[in-house]
Amino acid sequence: MNANYPAPIQRLILLLKSLPGLGPRSAERLMLWLMGRGHTRIPELAEALVHLRNHVTECPACGFFIERGAACLFCQSDKRNQKLLCVVESAADVLRLERSGAFSGIYHVLGGKLSPLDNVTPSDLRIESLARRVHELQSEEVIIALGSDVEGESTAHYLADLLRPLGVRITRLAQGMPAGGGLEQVDELTLHQAMSGRRLLES
Amino acid sequence: MLTRMTVRDFRCLASVEVEPHPRLTFVVGRNAQGKTSLLEAVCVLMRLQSPRTSTRSDWLRFGAESCLIEGVWEQHLLRHAQTKSSRRLAVNGAVCSRAAEYLSASALVVWLDHADMNLARGGAEHRRRHLDFTAAQLFPEYLTALRQYDRALRARNFLLKRDINISWRQVDAHGVIMDKNSAIIVRCRRELVRRIQPWIADAQLKLSGAAEAASAVYAPGFEGDSLLAALENMRDAESRTRQTAVGTHRDDLLLSVGGRDAGAFASEGQQRTLCLALKLAQARVLEEEKGVAPLLLLDDVFGELDPERRQALLDYLPRGSQKIVTTTALHWMTDESSDASILRVEDGNVRSVD
Ligand SMILES: [Zn+2]
Repeated sequence: MNANYPAPIQRLILLLKSLPGLGPRSAERLMLWLMGRGHTRIPELAEALVHLRNHVTECPACGFFIERGAACLFCQSDKRNQKLLCVVESAADVLRLERSGAFSGIYHVLGGKLSPLDNVTPSDLRIESLARRVHELQSEEVIIALGSDVEGESTAHYLADLLRPLGVRITRLAQGMPAGGGLEQVDELTLHQAMSGRRLLES
Repeated sequence: MLTRMTVRDFRCLASVEVEPHPRLTFVVGRNAQGKTSLLEAVCVLMRLQSPRTSTRSDWLRFGAESCLIEGVWEQHLLRHAQTKSSRRLAVNGAVCSRAAEYLSASALVVWLDHADMNLARGGAEHRRRHLDFTAAQLFPEYLTALRQYDRALRARNFLLKRDINISWRQVDAHGVIMDKNSAIIVRCRRELVRRIQPWIADAQLKLSGAAEAASAVYAPGFEGDSLLAALENMRDAESRTRQTAVGTHRDDLLLSVGGRDAGAFASEGQQRTLCLALKLAQARVLEEEKGVAPLLLLDDVFGELDPERRQALLDYLPRGSQKIVTTTALHWMTDESSDASILRVEDGNVRSVD
């Protein structure tokens, strides 16, 4: 006979394993914690997950997270320059740029990068809505703040090519960003300098 | 200098200890006894890769769970352990989590074997791989540029094939990346060929013993200075063939002997010498750059040469470098080459011969 954990535990491990960044070993470690010292935290965790699902959503305009029915920190703020639009890959990048304190415009979260080899096409990203927003907001400048790997760079050029006919100024972060890396790899000071020293993206 | 090496469960070698000669070591044995495996173990110890395979689990001896190669190179105790799925590297007992750290403590290597004939006779990909291998050791920016170029090229080719109506906007976005990286690749390859050129000519003259002038000319895979512009001109062709028509992935190295194309017109002997000359030029260029002679590993190269070229090669091998040479027989060895040690390999066992 093959000994194994009781079925509910097997199911949990299967679920945890399917989460990004968790391999079989870390899934098992997490399960052991939940069955041990973390046992009392389970209701709290479960409640937080359900609450997340019911009450948090994406801002229909920029894609950053908001609580249902609440105003967007950026899109609906008169303290932000609504003519200045910064394109980022993920919501986490928004906060990174915010912490750097170098940017006072609004954001557009793409939700990924174009990658034909991974089957990520323009329709998988928030690209159509980006073009629409640039037009509607009559943006003066679009700053493309994507990583400097092949996918980030080719997405940047794709977007620049798409937006250029709208007559908007298109810039990108200054050099000093690590080759092949995303925004998560740099500290706030570097990000600040990259944003202040941004330059025109040429075709 | 490699002074001592221990090999365990690597290919057909169960347990072997050797102390190579400071200059010249001959590894002698019949075929399939383990000569090349011993040479390969040295290469893996130094560069963590092998010219014989890209599948690391091939290194494990049949039935073994792991293999181990340990050696002393210039005061560094190098240790490389490999299981089916993972490896552990250490220098002087300290574990290296990054390969680069380990590689900076180990030797540069030039590997010569009969497959080098492909440099003269085979397709351009053999010559590009040769350039890449050397350029990657010379120019720090090279490998990143090459990887990015390849990834963008693969994506671009994929896009050209995928849709009935080609999305040129996406295709072009990748062309920009290729253009940027090809500028780096072309600059490095051009510089490398400039540096190896005099050495190839020199080696060919000395190895052939006659006035066979050899040359290598870099031939870019697109016309003009801008890959982007070259691609732009290929729109129609690419719409038809559905693949990237020009680019640095089609670069070549044009080799000639006595002014004539080496692949088509040179004799087999001339081709063999030319390929050796290319490899030895690589060794010279690496030595010039790093100030340390690379380790030369010659697998069964001598057997295929006529006696004069054989002696010429022996004389021409860089004096300062350490050489390990496999061969099936030593009957051709002369007194001049007697300052060497001999290891005899039989059925996976190695013993030294006085
Ligand atoms: Zn918003």
